[in-house]
Amino acid sequence: MKINMDYIARVEGESAVKIEIEDGKLKDLKLNIWEPPRFFEGFLVGRRFDEVPDIVARICGICPVSHMTTAIRAIENAIGFEPTPRIKKIRDIMALSQIMASHLAHLYVLALPDYFKLNSVVEMLPKFKELESVKKDAFETLKMIRELDYPDFKNDTEYVAVTNKKDYAINEGVITSSHGIKADANDYPLIFEESEISYSNAKRTVIKGRGSLMTGAIARLNLSFDLLHSDAKSVVKEIGFEPLEKNPFFNIIAQGAEIVHGIRKIIEHLEGFSEEESFVGIKVKEGFGSAVTEAPRGMLYHQYEMNKRGIIEKANIVTPTAHNFLSLEEGLKKLVNENIDKPKEEIILLCEMLVRAYDPCFSCSVH
Amino acid sequence: MKKRLGFFKFSCCTGCQFHFFYEQRYLLETLLNFDVVFSKILSSSGTPDGPFDVALIEGTVTEVWQVDELKRIREQSTLLFAIGSCAVSGGIPAIKATDPEIEIEKRVYKKLSSIHSIKPYAIDAYVKVDGYIRGCPPGERDLYEALTSVLTDKKPDFLHYSVCVECKLKGNTCVLVSYNVPCMGPVTNAGCGALCPSMNRACYSCFGPVKQANGSALAKKFKLMGLSKDDIIRKFTEFGAVTGEFRKAVEMMYED
Repeated sequence: MKINMDYIARVEGESAVKIEIEDGKLKDLKLNIWEPPRFFEGFLVGRRFDEVPDIVARICGICPVSHMTTAIRAIENAIGFEPTPRIKKIRDIMALSQIMASHLAHLYVLALPDYFKLNSVVEMLPKFKELESVKKDAFETLKMIRELDYPDFKNDTEYVAVTNKKDYAINEGVITSSHGIKADANDYPLIFEESEISYSNAKRTVIKGRGSLMTGAIARLNLSFDLLHSDAKSVVKEIGFEPLEKNPFFNIIAQGAEIVHGIRKIIEHLEGFSEEESFVGIKVKEGFGSAVTEAPRGMLYHQYEMNKRGIIEKANIVTPTAHNFLSLEEGLKKLVNENIDKPKEEIILLCEMLVRAYDPCFSCSVH
Repeated sequence: MKKRLGFFKFSCCTGCQFHFFYEQRYLLETLLNFDVVFSKILSSSGTPDGPFDVALIEGTVTEVWQVDELKRIREQSTLLFAIGSCAVSGGIPAIKATDPEIEIEKRVYKKLSSIHSIKPYAIDAYVKVDGYIRGCPPGERDLYEALTSVLTDKKPDFLHYSVCVECKLKGNTCVLVSYNVPCMGPVTNAGCGALCPSMNRACYSCFGPVKQANGSALAKKFKLMGLSKDDIIRKFTEFGAVTGEFRKAVEMMYED
């Protein structure tokens, strides 16, 4: 039996899943990301450093701030500039609001309709009073989400996120994994390996010598659980979510927790925040810089090389979805194997639900 | 009967489609008067088959299959609107047209055999377009205008003036004249409410060129301000490098 899902609706960007089942066994499964490439890394060469943030913001319609911030951090690293604590705080507030907006869009518009056996948020509108909760509080959203009926499934993969000792990391920190990686952004090329796949326009990134990884809200919760705001932590703890959580469907719960965390954190940041000039002049120089941050969908890496006039000579961007590519494909294989006796429609829905749980951004992954 | 609406994506970030559904402040009631027949991001039960009363197209055309698909949608739609800078003017993806394309492709992929990219163009290079909802992301006013015009069967009245007019309406100090920063406002279509100049930042033309903009005159002004040839060319190639208005300015710089 062949199952061809030519496109997956309710995800960002274009992808297909092709499944081949023979004699009751999974023979082959491919995640084909057919999103057309726009060649950002190609045409960034020759552009000036101060255009880069505006340009890369257009890689993604859901997480422009993440691309912008990561590019700015990488360029700052290239010229050896350290922003003031005030600037860092402003960026944190922007990043947190970006993560919340992205998570809310993902939850209500993309992921949740499946759990109510509906096709879209429009159908949810008149029928479900649960949606009223979003008006009240993020807290209610999280409580509603944690009660949903999630498929019982475990995925074996390495969880990777940016972490730091002080805070639930977003823009600042080191690359950390559930299997012991602790490294600086500069060491990224030593740990990760990107390769081209014949059936996909998106490249696939793995941990050298080890294999797949998963990044995103569930990875951040797994690796920075203690630093999550206590309000969010207590709600997810009640349902037994504790590191190391291996059910990728729970990424949805992790996103709900991060929305609560984000609101509480922004309020903290804004307390005692005064109006003052934030502009700091910089001096352009030749350099090579990289940065990792946490975008809504996970770890985002930007790397730039520029000449003494500030013109970009080389650009490399690895997105959360490229990091999650193999882990998602492996997860799909395991999910199909575990449900191989189920009717075709059910297998398709389960696959779609897993893809959505990963919250991929295929436009980002190809860029 | 509700008007049938289809939303189609080509090469872009899906930001327009997201923005479209985000705009609930004004749009939710308007939107509920449409039957959204197809939008991949919104519903898993959609069908791409027409007929459509209105088709919204986001994204630049960069692959051959998109040309065929675009023509199919055109044939099946009463009205077809371009939404967002990519579809309207080529947007950011059109930067690729400024260098030999194979060079740019080789910088990204080692194996080019599975890459089938063509020169990026706005959608009106291939089909007749009934209206342009400009911006990156699209401006609220024109988006609302487009939808209400479909519902009321009238010709949409989009903004056809430059960002300068918006600055004047807001009483902004001109950043180009007063602060000597290279502002693209004079040649850029309005719709953003002069967002950047209101923050004392130069406009970078994310809404693309206003029709019949005199790009060459602004390029000359930038030159007098001391900008290098390359810097001026970059200004006119960030959004909508393939448009006639901006190409004229770039060609003038090369002839200079």
